[in-house]
Amino acid sequence: MSAGGAASAATTGIADAPLVRASGVAWEHRGRRIVGPIDLDVGAGECLIVLGPNGAGKTTLLRLLSGLLAPSAGEVAWRGAPYRDLSRRQLARRMAYVPQIRPARVPLTVEEVVLLGRYPHLGRLQLAPRPQDFAAVNAALAQVGIEELRRRPVDELSGGERQSVYIAAALAQEAEMLVLDEPTTHLDPRHQREVVSLLARIARGTARTVVAATHDLTFAALVADRLVALAAGRVAAIGTPAEILRPAVLEELFASRFRLVGDAARPIPVLSLEDGPEDGSEEGP
Amino acid sequence: MSPAGGGRRGTVLALLALLWLAVLVVAPLIGSQRVGLGAVIAGDPTASLIVWQIRLPRVLLALAAGGALAVAGVGFQTLFRNPLAEPYTLGVATGAALGAVIALRFADPSTVLGFSIVAVASFSGALGATALVVGMAWRAGAARSGGVETGTLLLAGVAVSLSASAIILFLQYLSDATQTFRMVRWMMGGLSVVGYRDVLWVVPWVVAGSAVLLALRWDLNQLLTGEELAAGRGVDVSRLRLLVLGVTSLMVGALVAVTGPIGFVGLMVPHLLRRLVGHDHLFLAPAAILGGGAFLAVCDLAARTVMAPAQIPVGVLTALLGGPFFLWLLVARRR
Repeated sequence: MSAGGAASAATTGIADAPLVRASGVAWEHRGRRIVGPIDLDVGAGECLIVLGPNGAGKTTLLRLLSGLLAPSAGEVAWRGAPYRDLSRRQLARRMAYVPQIRPARVPLTVEEVVLLGRYPHLGRLQLAPRPQDFAAVNAALAQVGIEELRRRPVDELSGGERQSVYIAAALAQEAEMLVLDEPTTHLDPRHQREVVSLLARIARGTARTVVAATHDLTFAALVADRLVALAAGRVAAIGTPAEILRPAVLEELFASRFRLVGDAARPIPVLSLEDGPEDGSEEGP
Repeated sequence: MSPAGGGRRGTVLALLALLWLAVLVVAPLIGSQRVGLGAVIAGDPTASLIVWQIRLPRVLLALAAGGALAVAGVGFQTLFRNPLAEPYTLGVATGAALGAVIALRFADPSTVLGFSIVAVASFSGALGATALVVGMAWRAGAARSGGVETGTLLLAGVAVSLSASAIILFLQYLSDATQTFRMVRWMMGGLSVVGYRDVLWVVPWVVAGSAVLLALRWDLNQLLTGEELAAGRGVDVSRLRLLVLGVTSLMVGALVAVTGPIGFVGLMVPHLLRRLVGHDHLFLAPAAILGGGAFLAVCDLAARTVMAPAQIPVGVLTALLGGPFFLWLLVARRR
């Protein structure tokens, strides 16, 4: 900051900085380390999928990347600016978080839920949402393709439709980055396909950056530009779908056998029942 | 929240405002002795005394108290995501009652700074109970995740309420018949005031508390889809929780110190209004302030006229309405 050279280096640093950079980030709960230390960059416009078994720390990592949790060690930065220097509101204008767990009873219509996404753009003294807020809501409903559900109470919708509503609310937030926790869990194949194709459209068709955690390998294989494999709170492997979605890596991660279908650039892993690693006693035919 | 329905909600709000004004003008004219508006305007001394010194202060207190209880109920129900939450859930009323009972049992009737010792003691009791509940929840939360959790708050509220009730029973057992009678009457809750001193004490609390809840309308709306999403959009949920609890407890504590606990208004009115104007706090909060005030003023009008010249404490009347209302709520929900 003082020397000219350092200042220019810092400037180029920001220009070259990834959208989000986590450096040495860790999170501890009651003295037990849940996640980290993790170094991870999220590039602008990419679709990064966090893979890992239950309890690997996927949700915690997402919450750290969204600024919902303050790290116990290390720091997360947005284009070079540490999260702790940004207000919650500033963070919320940059990234939208779609959690996995949501309350069962929500007494609102689809449109009202999507309008809630405008919160970080609303002023305390503003009496009602402005025209541009409604415009953002309409655009989000159109992009997700749920305009006809606009007036329906959210509680009457199917699980997949409801997931789409919350993704639309995140889009209405007009954030550069979308962070989703287990977006396809608890959905039947038809709604899984709808949500996956929606997220693929958002990831590829727009400039938005998408980060999602999942253990749905089909979803991961279909949309990811890059995959992070998380095991016991640490990064076990990181790379392209072709690098990560290999039987050896997956067996290590999930303690299960997989075989691959699809092409080599974007292989889709499928569970295989041929003698699993924990259960070698059974003889195959 | 949505452009559609905004018109209808605006109409409901305007009607509630008209109702509020109508109650303000008409209720002081009705009572055991009917007074004509003309006589008041003409300056008839008896009519003026009845209306200006006896009935108007009481109607104003009812409007303020009802509005405060209803808007506080809205805040509590949204905060706890629980239709059974009400302003007294965290023990404000039982704390106030304990303070009042202690004063009635041990203190000579006297005044502090112009307020009765009972009112001062009950305000202290209300604040003490709230501080105890929040403090306990704070300690439990700090041990776990940092931040106050709603579940812990509810449990701490129940525990403090039950303890205060037990101490009240014990003190009543130790009291003579006159003291016990005055304790029971205090706990029935009523609006019998003469002059404006109590009104002037309550109104600033109510105005400030309602203003804060109105200012928090966007934040309260966020809680409708859960705390996780709210936090993701930039709401400081822990701070919001403490702010809403602190503000409503101060407001309700100041109120209960003067009126005693008036039950069910904070429960009934928000539920009725949610059906009329929906859950958007932009409409719901002002509707509660207007509707709650008008509701309690009308209840009080009934309380002082149906058995005239006897006056039923209005808290008894609202409690009588409350039970059947709950049953109706249960049945109507199922449909």
